[in-house]
Amino acid sequence: MLKSMFQKIFEWLKSAGGITVAVSVILLALATWDQGPYILVNTVVTGGMLGLVAMGLAVILGVLNIAQFAHGEYFMIGGLTAYYVITPIQNYLTAHPNAFLAAVAPFVAMIFATLAGAIAGALTELLCFRPLRARSRANWVMNSFLLTVGLSVILVNGDLLIFGADFKGIVGYWQGAPLSVAGVYVSIDRVMAFILALAIVIGFWVFMKYSRTGQAIRAVAQDELGALMVGIGLEWIMVLTMALGCAMAAVAGASLLFMYPSYPTVGLEPLYMAWFVVILVGLGNVMGALIGGFMVSLLKVLTVAYVGEGWQFVIPSVLIILVLIFKPSGVFGSEVRGVLDQ
Amino acid sequence: MLEINNLNAGYGFLQILRDVSLKVDEAEYVSLIGPNGAGKSTTLKTVAGIVKPMSGQVLFNGDDIGGQPGNRVTRLGVSYISEEMNLFTNMTVHENMMMGAYTVRDKNAKNRLLDFAYGLFPRLEERRNQLAGTMSGGERKMLGIGRSLMADPKLLLVDEPSFGLAPQLTDQVFESLDTLRNEGKTILVVEQNVAKTLSVTDRGYVMENGRIELEGPSSELAGNPHVRKVFLGI
Repeated sequence: MLKSMFQKIFEWLKSAGGITVAVSVILLALATWDQGPYILVNTVVTGGMLGLVAMGLAVILGVLNIAQFAHGEYFMIGGLTAYYVITPIQNYLTAHPNAFLAAVAPFVAMIFATLAGAIAGALTELLCFRPLRARSRANWVMNSFLLTVGLSVILVNGDLLIFGADFKGIVGYWQGAPLSVAGVYVSIDRVMAFILALAIVIGFWVFMKYSRTGQAIRAVAQDELGALMVGIGLEWIMVLTMALGCAMAAVAGASLLFMYPSYPTVGLEPLYMAWFVVILVGLGNVMGALIGGFMVSLLKVLTVAYVGEGWQFVIPSVLIILVLIFKPSGVFGSEVRGVLDQ
Repeated sequence: MLEINNLNAGYGFLQILRDVSLKVDEAEYVSLIGPNGAGKSTTLKTVAGIVKPMSGQVLFNGDDIGGQPGNRVTRLGVSYISEEMNLFTNMTVHENMMMGAYTVRDKNAKNRLLDFAYGLFPRLEERRNQLAGTMSGGERKMLGIGRSLMADPKLLLVDEPSFGLAPQLTDQVFESLDTLRNEGKTILVVEQNVAKTLSVTDRGYVMENGRIELEGPSSELAGNPHVRKVFLGI
């Protein structure tokens, strides 16, 4: 029993995914030993949220077969909503201190942001992708991709037009001294962002694995016609998936508002990073995207620590090019159809 | 149970079916035979709600289901089994079976259907934890039929059950369809294996170039000079 388990772990370690994970863990350990625990803390804190954005991207890719290049804009919508909810409350709080309201307000802001992201996602599916799908499914991957690019331009400029080009940020959601984690001072906001990401990921995993609707989403990702044959309503699943994926980007945008103040093109960086993750782990691999989030985040942290800040996008890009050349299916392979043309 | 009247259907601008009319009564075992590209599969897909009709009627128990989405049709009690099965390859056999019962909410009913399907295909129960994508062709066929049974269908639309199977496995699949018919299920089967199909079904329709050319009891069709010449090569 124990022996077969070791054997299985050993087999997995020899696969591309196993090697990548093992190398990442070793690198993380070495860098932490060399530079101090802040490497570990930074990787873990930013990796969780990046994983969340990438998971949203992966689930949209897997179920709707859409290469989503407007994903960053839902990140932006989340941050914007959270800003407009939290700022009046914080202004009110400076005049009338209230411990309870101060503790609850960030969650209120994030819930509003999540809802805004979900509604925006559902509307995108209903107003953009459904009409396109009804018209023709020929060249779907290309057409839907172009549609997302156009959508991104419209959303960015819509934001610019309505809310202006200034940075709308907050100092932090939570007041209080930074926590000391392994000798590193981490702000409560970062700790909360990580805990939130973890909670959402676990919730999402349970939903996908055990709920009837979550299983239906997985079924659609694996075989759309098969899903239709067993009686799954595709239209509803597609709206729901789009809403879920976009809500995940929005909640990430909201909880990282203290790091990424909201402005029209704030979504660009998370979009690129999420695409790095998705290409690294394999298109449409949802749970792999979480692990990939940590790996890409580690890569960024290491680049900043050893090579220099200016290189933080160069090194991941080089890695993505290498992955595309040598392992185009991603290091974990994919559980779903990924991007394919019908 | 199923009545198709003057159905026209196709893909985009390409019309495949021309004025197709056919009827399947309750507990009947009916075949739709014909050469490649005659429109047999398109007929099944139109009934299953995958292809939208251009005109004409598809009546199931009196309701017009023509043009309704596939999931609604499944809910009404029509299960379509495609040639390539469209299994969920990264789910286990058991998970596939449970997805098949997506429209069944009652837990007891689910268990009863599962017992029935596993009783029909004991092989599936042996392999319940295997991933569907790693199974052999015959087993996948069984899983495809088993999964469709989980929706508790009244009418089964089976597309090319012999597709890609060795002769021995084909016989097994036809035996299981026989069992289902004896259990009172209504079956409409599309096949290119004309001799085999006509020997097991009650009635048959012969389709050519998108039209129904002949119809009648299977034994009569098997003796028809045109069928003998074109399909049986006698």
